[in-house]
Amino acid sequence: MNAAKPKPKVVFEAVAKDFERRGEALRVLDPIDLVVREGEFVCLLGPSGCGKSTLLSIAGGFEPPTAGRVLIDGEPVSAPSPRRVFVFQEYGIFPWASVWDNVALGLRALSKEQQYERIQATIDLVGLTGFEKSYPMELSGGMKQRVGVARALAVAPDVIYMDEPFGALDSLTRLTMRAELIRIWQTRRPTILFVTHDVDESIQLADRVVVFSPRPGRIAGIVEVGLPHPRDLGSSRYGEIKNELYELLGVRHAI
Amino acid sequence: MSLAIALVVAALVGLRLASRWSLGARRWLMPVCVAALGVALWHGACALTQTKIFPTPLESFGAIFELGRTSRLWNDVVASLFRVTWGFGLAAAVGIPLGLWIGWSSRSFLALNPLVQALRPISPIAWIPIAILWFGIGDLSAIFLIFLASIFPIVVGTTAAVQNIPQVYVRSAANFGLAGFDLVRRVVLPAAMPQIITSLRIALGVAWLVIVAAEMVGMQSGLGYLVSDARNMGKRYDLVVAAMILIGLIGIVLDVLVRRLEQFDEVRWGFAKR
Ligand SMILES: Nc1ncnc2c1ncn2[C@@H]1O[C@H](COP(=O)(O)OP(=O)(O)OP(=O)(O)O)[C@@H](O)[C@H]1O
Ligand SMILES: [Mg+2]
Repeated sequence: MNAAKPKPKVVFEAVAKDFERRGEALRVLDPIDLVVREGEFVCLLGPSGCGKSTLLSIAGGFEPPTAGRVLIDGEPVSAPSPRRVFVFQEYGIFPWASVWDNVALGLRALSKEQQYERIQATIDLVGLTGFEKSYPMELSGGMKQRVGVARALAVAPDVIYMDEPFGALDSLTRLTMRAELIRIWQTRRPTILFVTHDVDESIQLADRVVVFSPRPGRIAGIVEVGLPHPRDLGSSRYGEIKNELYELLGVRHAI
Repeated sequence: MSLAIALVVAALVGLRLASRWSLGARRWLMPVCVAALGVALWHGACALTQTKIFPTPLESFGAIFELGRTSRLWNDVVASLFRVTWGFGLAAAVGIPLGLWIGWSSRSFLALNPLVQALRPISPIAWIPIAILWFGIGDLSAIFLIFLASIFPIVVGTTAAVQNIPQVYVRSAANFGLAGFDLVRRVVLPAAMPQIITSLRIALGVAWLVIVAAEMVGMQSGLGYLVSDARNMGKRYDLVVAAMILIGLIGIVLDVLVRRLEQFDEVRWGFAKR
């Protein structure tokens, strides 16, 4: 890591969440404290139902926390903003709009020429050149997710939230998409919070992996990955991290 | 009788061979074969019962040509279509924005939905006396009735469509700062559009049903008036059946026209994989 630590970007201060269920309060998140630094790639790893999506929604300003707060650049989050953008699991892009129009969504304030330039550059960056006029239903799952990533990147956000963005893809496409995401992240250096329940995915992508316990979600441990990109999936360090993560998740690695 | 038997044989052979035709041809030929079977059955029933009053298929088709020779038929078709076009068009122009609003704002849903649900089950036919009271006998009354008949399916369908918009779309819109008119134009309306088109289809079907009924009771022209007039003026049941066949055929054409809307790129996603 660098000598001068980058400044904190997203700060969770005792963020807790209860949901009302048939008149009873259901605790989904126990108070979470976490500091994500500028330009950092953090994976939130945990079992299904532990509140990862909920935590991300709170950070995105879609949902208010029951207690605590989320600060971005020192400012409390209260509503969604194009400065921090979501990439949703599957159907986040608009099926009624072409690839071009989807990517254009957040650029309405720019002049026509600026829009044109930005959209084309982003489409090229995610490797969808030639598909500008296509509609989502004419694209494969991986290409649709590239549109989602392009739509987010186009507005040049400081923070990108990704909620299992590759969950619906087959394992080969998933690998390619991860490599692409790392390439894009290295070019643009946004801060990324990436939710997954795939242990390998988290090790391949993250600077740090935050492991959650089952509901009510709380942080079971944080693992520094510290491997340079591109990462050697066969290295002994990789295997060690994997064991560490499985242990934190409370699952036996060997079957 | 031999004609009927020939028709049955031709239709059965046609249906049997249907698998060899292209999909495009099948879409036409199979319904035509089934219609031919129906006509043959009709003819057979007439021959068996030796009816003097109920027209045979030949008499009925002959009546269509008899109607077609005068300008009567054309005038009645135009009169009915004119009323439906205006009534339905106005209903869409009012009903879609109203449905978008009721579906989007929970306050307007609470306030207006009970009213909509209370007015909806009142048959447009029940409004005929009031329509005549307000607008007299004529096109205006008919347009008012068609408006009433078609606005409820449109409002209810559009409301449901908006309420069913997946949360990710709404959140995406909020994330990229869409609000007000932009939000409606870029997200709410397109997301609801496939279901709106379906409700337009239903509404147009209802409008076509109601115009005939309304014209039978309270109008002096149109296909519905043709039906009741043919019966009253000398029990011309061949003309009655001829008018009914035409009403059905025009109904098919109207439905095909609305379904054209499903082909646009912006809504195809809502109709794929069926
Ligand atoms: N709007 C809601 N109302 C009530 N309960 C909710 C709501 N949203 C989520 N929950 C509950 O909160 C818990 C956490 O949900 P969340 O979607 O955050 O889990 P997750 O960790 O993202 O799981 P997964 O990996 O399956 O996506 C679940 O038990 C869920 O039932
Ligand atoms: Mg989730």
